[in-house]
Amino acid sequence: MAQTVGGLEVRAKEELFINLEPLQRGGIMPAETRKAALSYIDGYSTCDYCVGTLHLIRKPPIADFLEEVAGFLGMDFAILTNGCREAKFAVMHAITKPGDAIVMDANRHYTSYVAAERAGLAIYEVESTGHPYFQIKPEGYASAIEKVKAETGRLPSLVLLTHVDWIYGNLVDAEKVGKICEEYNVPFLLNTAYSSGRMPINGRNLKADFVTCSGHKSWAAGAGTVGILAIGKDLTEKVIRSSKEYKVKPIEILGCSARGSSTIALMASFPFVKERVKHWGEEVKKARWFSAQMEALGDIEQLGDSPHNHDLIRFETPAFDRIAQKHRRRGYFLYEELLERKIAGVKAGKTKAFDLSTYQLTNEQLKYIIDSFKDIIEKYS
Amino acid sequence: MREKVVEKTFEALFALEDLRELLRKTAPFDLTKEQIEEAKKILAKVRKTLDEIGGELK
Repeated sequence: MAQTVGGLEVRAKEELFINLEPLQRGGIMPAETRKAALSYIDGYSTCDYCVGTLHLIRKPPIADFLEEVAGFLGMDFAILTNGCREAKFAVMHAITKPGDAIVMDANRHYTSYVAAERAGLAIYEVESTGHPYFQIKPEGYASAIEKVKAETGRLPSLVLLTHVDWIYGNLVDAEKVGKICEEYNVPFLLNTAYSSGRMPINGRNLKADFVTCSGHKSWAAGAGTVGILAIGKDLTEKVIRSSKEYKVKPIEILGCSARGSSTIALMASFPFVKERVKHWGEEVKKARWFSAQMEALGDIEQLGDSPHNHDLIRFETPAFDRIAQKHRRRGYFLYEELLERKIAGVKAGKTKAFDLSTYQLTNEQLKYIIDSFKDIIEKYS
Repeated sequence: MREKVVEKTFEALFALEDLRELLRKTAPFDLTKEQIEEAKKILAKVRKTLDEIGGELK
C-alpha cells in the first residue's frame, strides 16, 4: 500500500487481502477489540488504578477477567504474561533447577526448546512418526520418561506437550499424555498456543498442571503481545511466589507483564473468544473440505493428521514446485500470482511445501482460494 | 465542550472501525448491495458525529 503513516507503510492486509498466514489468523481482532485497544494505546494505560501488580488491578477489571479465564480453561489460577513463551519459561524456572531433565515433543515450537535451554535443562524429545503424518504418539512420553529415569536415575522435572503444533497442525491426545504424567507424578505443561482461544480446552480434564496460551496467536488479541499462564491449585504457590522485598510482585513474571493495550485487547476479545470456541467443529469441517479440494487439484498432498483436526494445514506441493523450476521468478511466482488475486500469507519463495490456515474464513473465501490455486495451475500447464 | 468533542471523536473513530470491519470481513470481493447500504449507514453516522464536533467548535 502506498499510503504511509509516521513514515511507515499502512498495513491493510486484512482489508485488501484474504490472509492465510497461520501465525496471524487466530490473532485477528474484531472491531470492538480494536476500539478498546485504540483507547488504551498509550504506554502503561492499564495502570491508572494500579494496586501494585497488574494481575490484581480492578479497574479495568483485570483481576476479575483472570478469574474467569482460569475457569474457562478449567484451571484454578491464571496470570498474564508477555506471551506463551514467557509463560513456559516462568514454569520451567520456577519448578526445575539447572541440570534437571525435561521431556517435550519433537514438533515443539522453538520457544519451548529455547526456554528449556535458558533454564539449563537437559532436553529429551518424543519423536514424531515422520513423513507424512508426523504425529506425536502419547505412549512416546512414557518411553521418554523411562529413558530419563534410566540415564539419570531420576524422573524428569517437567513434561511439555505441544497440544497443536505449528508445522503440521497436528492435535495430540493431551489427556493420554496427562494420564502418563499423573502415573509418574511428573508435572505436565500443556502448550496451547494454537488450541486455546480457538477450540474448547479444559486443563483439569486433560490432567494438565499448567496451560500456557498465546493471546496474539489464538485469542484475537493483538495490539502487542500477551499470554496467559493457567495453573492447577497444587502448583500455584510454587510458581506464583512473591519477591521478598516487593511482596506483591510475582517473581517469575518480574512483577507485572503486559502493561497496556495488548491486555485490554485480550479482555475485550474474551466474549468473542468464548463464543467462537463453540464453533470449533465447523472450523474443522471447513479445514477438511479445503484440504480435500487442494488434494483434488492433483500432485498436492496434505501432511499431518488425516483427516485433519485443525485449521493450520501443511501441504507438499510438487504441482507448484514443477512450475517454479521453469518460471523466471522461480519459487516467488506462486506468492506473486496469489498476491495478484488478493491472497496473502503463503510465504514468498515457497513452492515445495507451504502451510496456511483456514481459520474463520467464509465458505465463499475458501472456494475463491481453491479456484485461484486451480487457475494458477491451469495457467502454467 | 472538550469532553463532548473527545466523546464524539471516539464515536467517529469507532464508527470508522465498523466500516473497516466490513472491509475486513468481505475482502477481497466487491461489496454487495446490502453491504454498500451498511457502509452508507456507517458513513452517515460518521458525518453526523463530525457535524456534532463541528458544532461544538463554533
